[in-house]
Amino acid sequence: MSLFKGRMHQHIPGHKDLTEHKDVLDVKPGKKVFIPLYAGHSTNFELLVKEGDQVFVGTKLAICNEKIVVPIYSSVSGIVVGVQKIMHGTLRPQDHLVIENDEKDEKIQSFQPLDYQTASREELIDFMMNAGIVGCGGAGFPTYMKYKSAQQVDKLIINAVECEPYITADLAMETEYIGPFITGILAMKKMAQALEVVIAVKKSHPELIQFFEAVVANIADVRVVSVPDVYPMGWERALVRQILNKNYDKLPLEVGAIVNNATTAIAFAEALIHGKPMVEKMITVSGDGVKNPCNVFVRVGTPVSEIIAACGGYTADEVKLIAGGPMMGNTIVKEEFVIDRASNAITVLKAVQYDSVACFRCGQCSDHCPAGLQPVRIVQAAKAKDKKMMERLQALACVECGLCTYVCPSRLDVTENVRIAKRQLQMDRK
Amino acid sequence: MKFLYSASPNLRAKRSTKQIMLELMIGLLVVYAFSLFYYFTEHGMEVALHSILLMATSLLVMLITEAGYAYCTKQKVLPFLSQSFGWITAIILTLMCPITITPFALGVATFCAQVFGKLLFGGFGQNIFNPAALGRAIVLASFTGVVANVTEDVITGATITTRMANEFHWLVVDSSMIDKLMRAAGGLQNLFVGFYPGGIGETSALLLCLIGIVFMIRKVIDWRLPIIYVGSIFVLGSVIALYSGMSNWLWYPTFHILSGGVMFAAVFMITDPVTTPTSAAGKCVFALGAAIITVLIRIKANLPEGVLYSILIMNMLTPMIERAFDGKQLQVLKKAYIVFAVVAALGVGSVVLAASQVEPAKEKVKEVIRIPLSDEYTNSLQASIENQVDNGDGTKTFTVTAQGFAAKEGPNLPDYDHGFEPNVFEIKVDTTSYTVVYLKATKIGDTEYLGDKLLNTKYTAQFEGLDLRSEFEVTVNDAITGATYSAKSSVRALLEVRKALGL
Repeated sequence: MSLFKGRMHQHIPGHKDLTEHKDVLDVKPGKKVFIPLYAGHSTNFELLVKEGDQVFVGTKLAICNEKIVVPIYSSVSGIVVGVQKIMHGTLRPQDHLVIENDEKDEKIQSFQPLDYQTASREELIDFMMNAGIVGCGGAGFPTYMKYKSAQQVDKLIINAVECEPYITADLAMETEYIGPFITGILAMKKMAQALEVVIAVKKSHPELIQFFEAVVANIADVRVVSVPDVYPMGWERALVRQILNKNYDKLPLEVGAIVNNATTAIAFAEALIHGKPMVEKMITVSGDGVKNPCNVFVRVGTPVSEIIAACGGYTADEVKLIAGGPMMGNTIVKEEFVIDRASNAITVLKAVQYDSVACFRCGQCSDHCPAGLQPVRIVQAAKAKDKKMMERLQALACVECGLCTYVCPSRLDVTENVRIAKRQLQMDRK
Repeated sequence: MKFLYSASPNLRAKRSTKQIMLELMIGLLVVYAFSLFYYFTEHGMEVALHSILLMATSLLVMLITEAGYAYCTKQKVLPFLSQSFGWITAIILTLMCPITITPFALGVATFCAQVFGKLLFGGFGQNIFNPAALGRAIVLASFTGVVANVTEDVITGATITTRMANEFHWLVVDSSMIDKLMRAAGGLQNLFVGFYPGGIGETSALLLCLIGIVFMIRKVIDWRLPIIYVGSIFVLGSVIALYSGMSNWLWYPTFHILSGGVMFAAVFMITDPVTTPTSAAGKCVFALGAAIITVLIRIKANLPEGVLYSILIMNMLTPMIERAFDGKQLQVLKKAYIVFAVVAALGVGSVVLAASQVEPAKEKVKEVIRIPLSDEYTNSLQASIENQVDNGDGTKTFTVTAQGFAAKEGPNLPDYDHGFEPNVFEIKVDTTSYTVVYLKATKIGDTEYLGDKLLNTKYTAQFEGLDLRSEFEVTVNDAITGATYSAKSSVRALLEVRKALGL
C-alpha cells in the first residue's frame, strides 16, 4: 500500500481445486479438425498444401513469411478439405484449414531434433522459429522474436504463475513434463545468454515450489521465486516489477529480462528432443457451467463442442462459453471455435445477472489497474469522445486484463468501455 | 442450449456499491444511536424525540424530493430511489446539524441538498459538491439562530466549537485561559468520548474513529482521505502551537482534531467518492488541501468552523487535481510527491502567517473594572433605605433605592428618553456576622440592555458572603460605562445598608 499509488493488483479466488488434482483427460481428435491460419500478429499465411492432399501429424501446412516467420503444422493425419472461415477464440472469424481425420494418426518428423548443448545460440533461434513455437501465456506471440535481439540478459524469468482463475493447464504440463521443462529452460537460458533463470510460482502453491526446488537443486543458476497470489501477477510487466523491482517502457529486455511461459519452454523442449511441433495442447476445461471440470490433452484444431462433450456437457441451459480464462478470455456465442496453439483454457460459467448502478467515482479501477491507468477517467473521456484526453490518459497502454471491471462495485463494464476508447485511438492511428 | 455474450471479464468481485452504501448507512445509524443515547440521558425524552423528528423530517423530504424528481423526469420511481442513495445524504445532513435546529430548517436544507446538490447535476455520481455539505451550508446561511422550542432551555450555552471561535479565536496561549477552555469542554477526554452538545453526530471522536477504522478495513472508504485529513490538521495544529510558543502544546492539535466536525467529516464527508478525486495521489492532495483550509478558516475566518467550507472549496478544485495526476500512476508518482510537498509547504507557510496575525485569546483584563468603596462618583449618588425587615433569624432584608445612571445623569442629557428612575435593590444581611446573604436588583431604572446587566446573577453573585466590616471592591466584567454606573449604584446601595447597620 503506497500513499500516492494504488495497489495495482488484486487477489482473485482461483477455483483451481476444480481441476488441479484430477487426471488429465485425453481427448482424441474427431472427424474433422480446423487448423487456424492465424498468429498473434498476422493472418497472412501462404498455404503449402492444397485441397485433397494427404497430410500427417507434423506436416507443415502453411507459413507466414512476413517480418516474423511462423509455420503451422498439421495435428492429425488425413485429407485436406479446404479453407473455411469460422469463429476464432479471438472473437473474430478467421480462415481455418479443414482436415478430414483418417484416424490413423500417422506421424512424420517435422524437423530434425537438436541438441541444445552442442548447438549455437543462432541455431537454436532459427530452430525455434522453424518449429513455430508461440507464447503459451495467451497472446500467442512468436517466441523466437524475444531472443533474436537478446543482449545482456540478467534474468530469464520462467512464468509459472498462472494468475487467471480456474486455469491449471500450466501446472498439469509442468508436473507431467518436468524433464522437458528443465531442458526447455536451459535451452532458453543459452539462447538468452542469461546469467540466471528464475522460475516464478505463486506463494499459494507451496507443493509446486517444493517440487521445482527439488528438481533445480543441482542446476547452477536456476532458482525458484515465489510471488504473491494476486491478479495479474502473470503479466510480464507485473512479474518484472515484482522480481526485479524495475519498470520498463516497451520490452522487458530494456531492464535485462526475458519472460517466457513455462508451457512454452516445454513445447520448445518437445521440439528439440523429438522434432515435434506444437500440435497438442493441455487445456483446462473448468467453471461451474461444465459437468466434469478437468484438464484435457487435445490436438490443435479440435472443436470446443467435442471437448465439452468429453467433459460431460453443460450444467445449465444458459451459459457463457469463454475461450480462455474468465478474466481475459473472450465469450464466444457459438460452440464451433477450435483450440489454437496459444489456447490454454475453456471456461464455462453459469450466467449471472449483475444489476449495475451509476459510477460514483470510487476510483477502485484506478487503484487496481496493473498498468497504473485511470479507467474511470478513460471511460469519461470515451463517453465525451474526447480523444485528446484519451491520449493523455494513455488508454492504449491498457492490456485489457479485466481487473477494473472485476473490482468495480457498481458492476459497470469498465474494461469494455476502455476498449472502446482504445479502438477510437487505434482507428485514428491507422 | 444458449450461449450468452458479455464482454470480458466474466468474473466480478463480491463487493457492490449497494453493499458499500448499506454499510455506510449502518455506520451512520450507529453514530445516530449514540447521539440519541446522549440526548436522552443528558437532556431527556423530549430532546431525544426532537432528534428523531429531525431525522424523520429529513428522510421524508428526501423521499418526496427524489420521488418527485423521478416522476417529473419520467423515470421509474422505485428503481430510481434504490440507485440514488439519497438517504445517505439525508442522514449525513441531519447528523451534521445541531440539535437546536427546527425541522423546517432541516427540511429546506434537505430539499436544497437533494435538488441543487445532486439531482440537477444529473443524479448520483454526477454532482460536483458534496450534497450534505451544501445542505449544511444553507442551514448555516439562512437559519442560524433559529432554535427549536423544545431544545431552547436544554442547550443554553454555545457549543464548545463556537466558544472556541468566539471567545478564544482558536488560539490560546495563556495557561489560565487554557484551563478555562478545558473546563468548558469538560477536558480532552470528554471531547474524545463525545458527551457534549454539538452537531448531532459530530461529537464522539472515539466512536467515529472506531467506525472509520472498520470502514477502512472493509474498504467502505479509502484509507488515504481520513488519515491524511486528520493527520494534516494535527500537524498544522502542532505547527501553530509551537510557533505561538504554547507550553505543553500537545493539547492544541488534539483539540483541533477532536472538536467540531473534523472526525465526522474525516469518516463520512471527505470520503464521499463522487466529489473527491479518483486517483490515489489526487485523494492525498485533496485531503491535505481540505486540512489546510479547515485550519485557516478556523483561526482566521469569521466562521466558527472550517470543516464544512473546506470540503466545499476542495470539491471545486477536484477536477483540477484530477487533471494534475492524469496518466500512468508510476509515471506521475514523482509529480505526486512534488505536488504534495509543495502544497504541504504552502499550507504550513500560510497557517503560520495566519497564526502570526491572530491575537491569542487572553483574559479580558482591560475590560474588568474594579469599583472601590471610596469611589468619589459612587459617594455622589443619592441612596435611601425604603424599608427594612427583621427576619427574626439573625438576618435583615433591606429595600434600598439608589441613583443609577438614569436618575443621576439622565436629566443632564438632552436626548435621554429612558426616564429618570433610580434602581431598587433588595439586600439581605446576616446581622451577626455582617455578611451579605444576597443582593438583587428588584427594579432597574437604568438604560435597557446596559443597566439591566445588574440582573445578571453572575454579577450579583460576587456580593454573596461579602463581609461588610472590611473594605471590598466590586468587579464589573464589562467595558460598557453605562453598566459601570449601574454597578456603582449597587455599591452605593450596599454602602447605605452598611451605614444603617452602624458600620
